[in-house]
Amino acid sequence: MSTPSHFDAGIYRSRKIKGNIGIVLSMVAMVIGLVFLLWILSILMFKGFSALNWGMFTQSTPAPGSEGGGLLNAIVGSLMIVGICTLISTPIGVMAAIYLSEYGDRSKFAAVTRFVNDIMLSAPSIVVGLFIYAIVVVNAKHFSGWAGTLALALIAIPVVVRNTENMLKLVPVSLREAAFALGAPKWKVSTTVVLKAARSGVMTGLLLSLARVSGETAPLLFTALNNQFYSTNMNAPMANLPVVIYQFAMSPYENWVNLAWGGALLITLTVLGLNILARVVFKEKVAV
Amino acid sequence: MNTTTPATEVQNVLEIRNLNFYYGAFQGLKNVNLDIKANTVTAFIGPSGCGKSTLLRTLNRMYDLYPGQRAEGEINFNGENILNPKQDLNLLRSRIGMVFQKPTPFPMSIYDNIAFGVRLYENLSSSDMDDRVEWALQKAAIWNEVKSKLNQSGLSLSGGQQQRLCIARGIAVKPSVLLLDEPTSALDPISTGKVEELVHTLKSEYTVVIVTHNMQQAARVSDFTAYMYLGELIEYGQTEAIFMKPTRQETEDYITGRFG
Amino acid sequence: MEKHISSQFDVELTGVSSRVLELGGLVESQIRHAVYALSQFSLEVADQVIETEAQVNAMEVEIDRELSSIIARRQPTAIDLRLLIAISKTTANLERAGDESEKIARMVKAIVASGAARSLPASELRMASDLASGLLRKALDAFARLDVTAAIGILKEDDLIDAEFDGFVRKLVTYMMEDPRTISASLDLLFIAKAIERIGDHAKNIAEFTIYVVKGADVRHTSLSEIESVVK
Repeated sequence: MSTPSHFDAGIYRSRKIKGNIGIVLSMVAMVIGLVFLLWILSILMFKGFSALNWGMFTQSTPAPGSEGGGLLNAIVGSLMIVGICTLISTPIGVMAAIYLSEYGDRSKFAAVTRFVNDIMLSAPSIVVGLFIYAIVVVNAKHFSGWAGTLALALIAIPVVVRNTENMLKLVPVSLREAAFALGAPKWKVSTTVVLKAARSGVMTGLLLSLARVSGETAPLLFTALNNQFYSTNMNAPMANLPVVIYQFAMSPYENWVNLAWGGALLITLTVLGLNILARVVFKEKVAV
Repeated sequence: MNTTTPATEVQNVLEIRNLNFYYGAFQGLKNVNLDIKANTVTAFIGPSGCGKSTLLRTLNRMYDLYPGQRAEGEINFNGENILNPKQDLNLLRSRIGMVFQKPTPFPMSIYDNIAFGVRLYENLSSSDMDDRVEWALQKAAIWNEVKSKLNQSGLSLSGGQQQRLCIARGIAVKPSVLLLDEPTSALDPISTGKVEELVHTLKSEYTVVIVTHNMQQAARVSDFTAYMYLGELIEYGQTEAIFMKPTRQETEDYITGRFG
Repeated sequence: MEKHISSQFDVELTGVSSRVLELGGLVESQIRHAVYALSQFSLEVADQVIETEAQVNAMEVEIDRELSSIIARRQPTAIDLRLLIAISKTTANLERAGDESEKIARMVKAIVASGAARSLPASELRMASDLASGLLRKALDAFARLDVTAAIGILKEDDLIDAEFDGFVRKLVTYMMEDPRTISASLDLLFIAKAIERIGDHAKNIAEFTIYVVKGADVRHTSLSEIESVVK
């Protein structure tokens, strides 16, 4: 195609060059990221796979020096701690988010809440753990699964609030107005229409917050502590995967190190699975 | 100065008296006086920013959702002033329904979309509810297209069908008045034609007020037309008179495209 | 033709179409009465024709008002627009055909008053006037059915009426030359003949507009052979 006479070829050419440079740089960045990701995953796979066997899922953590052993108590402990944390953080987080999004446009209280939430979002997890240690563990005079759950909840709630509020805010005003126009009261509009419209995004957020807390170690270090034996008593120190990995990875025992890798692999696969689940199952399957 | 038609035996469903409206410090409506007659279609026309949507949204107090917007004056709905602060807004909106420019089906099945409004105020048995849903969808001329897929999401319909679904949703609660805010702006000509035909059939049971930026639509669809400009009601009268021989020069300029 | 999405529009179009055909029927009967008054030299029937005129005029005004209203509110296009324009023109032609019948009736009264009634060659006029009123009915019929072939037939028949008219004029001239006392009465007859010829022209106009509605071609002031080629 012939260019018009008033076009300056220099402008067009330099733009093209800049564009190409940009593309190359982005690809390089992507490759770097991918390389490290694949490196981590492959080492995990390689080292962790050898630990994967039935024993890992049926036996509790071995005592120092003993042979074999598994991660059963840690797995069960993590499931319980994280599970109960989800049960606590979901309703609190979602309801707070509904308040902030639907009712909190004008109030100072809402603005302050949002601000505090944002701070909590980036609070160091060890600080949270220390806080729970100070007010729960010290007062109860023992470590417990409950303390661990509370610490994780304090980390999960801000994530849920922030994400849910964002998803709710994405719901167009016109949908709300349509519900109001039928004479629906505000609470009903918020729950049956707005929340429903945002449900896929909210669910995704919940899964992602779940994935986040599954791997948190610092808060559990001095709240749930750890437990060598199998136990489902939340009122006592409880075994959990992150702390077990922490302990075992640095130890001189070979089977402990092995188990640490196995645990790390388990956590990684869980987080990966949750992410995939969020993306695949909760994509909005509607033709628009 | 407003021109009104001579009083007929038809009742006034809505009487707007000395209505002034403010968006914060900006005055959106200036001293509007208007009667909406029962079982008629009244159209509000005028250039962008003339206040026609503002006026429509005062009729069901939709502006109440937003702080800083306030109305002064009187709007009498069957005798009661709905601008009264003690007015139950949710109840008002169940009697004066609204359909918006953008089709907004709820994220539920087609059946639940229709049933949503009905369930708010009526306690119907499931077979009665089925009947009501069918009735509303029939009235909106969309029953045949959706009767086999009532459980599918409302979002699975085409744009024109979604808008008729929203109209069905508005009718299902059996309001006295139906407010339509540019209901066909987002639709293709065929869907627009179907919705206009629908408005014509609704007239026998409802009072309809429609805002449209397409004045030819107002000419086709309405019995009475109100021309507004910069927040004032310039002229109000029978549609045939407005489009054949308007009383005010401003109205004629707008309608003939000699505007601005 | 398919219905409009707006049933109301269909109702309005059908309404105004029926009105114009009603007007056509009224004018047709007016012409027939005028012809009868002519053949029988009946003052009574002539008066009837003159009275009908008021009704015809009122209907013309009413139809035009309805047309303006439809155009203002419906913004018709294509065939709808052509149909409405054709109805407007047909109404005007019918009203003028009615005027011509009224003129005939007035002439008849003048002739009767002058006493020269019996001795005039009015019988030939009878034939021409039957032709003319028949032509008008055929034109309205073709318009109602939007039948282009019939419309072209009407255009041809009007030529016949024109030929008859010329023949009659020659006859009258001979008559006047033979007996100058009959000149004023003959002139009255001439005016009547002209009126009949004009009724034929109005029928022709209606046929032309039938072609306009169906084919979209304005065939006024074109020759018959050109018209036939346009229509093919």
